[in-house]
Amino acid sequence: MAQLTAFSYRSGNSYAHALDVRIKLILLMLVSLAVMDAGPTALGVMSLCLMILVRYLHLPLKSVCVELRYFLILLALVFIARSLSTAGDPLIVWKWLTISREGMKAGAVVVWRIMLVVLVGLTFVATTRPTEIKAAVEWFLKPVPLIPRARIGTMIGLVLRFIPLIFTQAGETLDAQRARAVEHRKNPYYRLTKFVIPFFRRTFETADKLAVAMEARCYSENRTNPQFSARRRDFMVLAVCAVFCCLIFLF
Amino acid sequence: MSIIELENVSHRFPDGTAGLQNINLSIMEGTLSVIAGQNGSGKTTFLKHLNGLLLPNTGTVKIAGEPVIKDIHRARQLVGMVFQDADSQIVGETVEADVAFGPENLCLDPTDVRKRVTAALAVVGLTKLAAQRPHLLSGGEKRRLSIAGILAMEPRIVVFDEPFTSLDYPGTQQVLQEILKLKQSGHTILVTTHDLEKVIYYADRLIIMHAGKIVRDGLPDNIVREVEAFGVREPCTSRLGMEALPWHN
Repeated sequence: MAQLTAFSYRSGNSYAHALDVRIKLILLMLVSLAVMDAGPTALGVMSLCLMILVRYLHLPLKSVCVELRYFLILLALVFIARSLSTAGDPLIVWKWLTISREGMKAGAVVVWRIMLVVLVGLTFVATTRPTEIKAAVEWFLKPVPLIPRARIGTMIGLVLRFIPLIFTQAGETLDAQRARAVEHRKNPYYRLTKFVIPFFRRTFETADKLAVAMEARCYSENRTNPQFSARRRDFMVLAVCAVFCCLIFLF
Repeated sequence: MSIIELENVSHRFPDGTAGLQNINLSIMEGTLSVIAGQNGSGKTTFLKHLNGLLLPNTGTVKIAGEPVIKDIHRARQLVGMVFQDADSQIVGETVEADVAFGPENLCLDPTDVRKRVTAALAVVGLTKLAAQRPHLLSGGEKRRLSIAGILAMEPRIVVFDEPFTSLDYPGTQQVLQEILKLKQSGHTILVTTHDLEKVIYYADRLIIMHAGKIVRDGLPDNIVREVEAFGVREPCTSRLGMEALPWHN
């Protein structure tokens, strides 16, 4: 997990980097929703736009594919399931299995849509600092009563910070157990309990130390508020995207 | 002028174990003091009393003339603490976000936060890694990031709890250099360790703790030969009858 680098912020001076994070977050939601409703033509246009954006941002598509290898297997399974479960003109018939032409089309569209959402997410993450994402979430929670937005913001930050650390610790615990031949024990319940107990103990100890360290640095929910600066062109981008998404919803 | 004063400080943990026993101590501003002792001797417990992370059962801890209990927030701002485990001290999702954490807690203006972050990163030489995610840093860099996070709060006292633990030679040198830079800039430094070798040359004062008590306190040259009685290894130079040598080049 510590090597998971493709899905991370990449510093740069592009317009996508400079775009107000709140607008980016709205765009992310809008485009993701529109993708889920889009047909092949709209998906084609969106794919073209996104590929241009990915190229413009120099994002490493190869590394992304490598990191998403297990997710791609899941998508393949989705495609197969759709192909098999949708009724229509049979394309391949083998014993009791029938793959229909309509099923393959539907499967391809679903996979295409999911891949586009991932790509939109990638461009968002690559051009937005985690701190800005946290600040934007806090900002959107402002009008919601009874929600401790500062605490939620801090929690988002801590999750982003500690996920790699927790995975590293899990890897270390597993390695330590492998070094003591845990693989010779075939009982999965035994192996799970032997892994979970030390792993959770370590995670809770880390959480304890973290709480003390935060206290030592005067942690309080009354903190400096993040600052945003939405410019006219940011709203223009939002307007253009909103019109495009509306067209997809309408047609 | 004394910046840290402890009068008859004792602390007992909830299970009844004595953490500190009748500690009386006064530390002058701008000095570098080394607190040595074996594991469980009370070094970390002592440090945690300086910024109110632990409060004494009896006695008073004063920082810059004010009792810690009177204003814990002030004590935490004045006493920056660099913990033993840098990984669990770093809270930010990026290097600069971590450094900004303290100033943001102090509710400073965003412009001031930015200024302090830039200055602190420059001091520890991490400016180029500002956008980096902390888990990708080396051990030495993580420790320097912890120091930057503390410096951004502009403390007068910086305490290091076992700062050289699990660091390689370059990492240790980097941290040692940061400690010396802080001392030169007028900060009061406290370093706890059970490995005197690396810091004894720079120490103005050596304090030995054992079972929650201060058992020796004085100039390093005067007491360094007695440390082994309290579970601390005597530095090689001292064993060979030589004067202490600087550890960093």
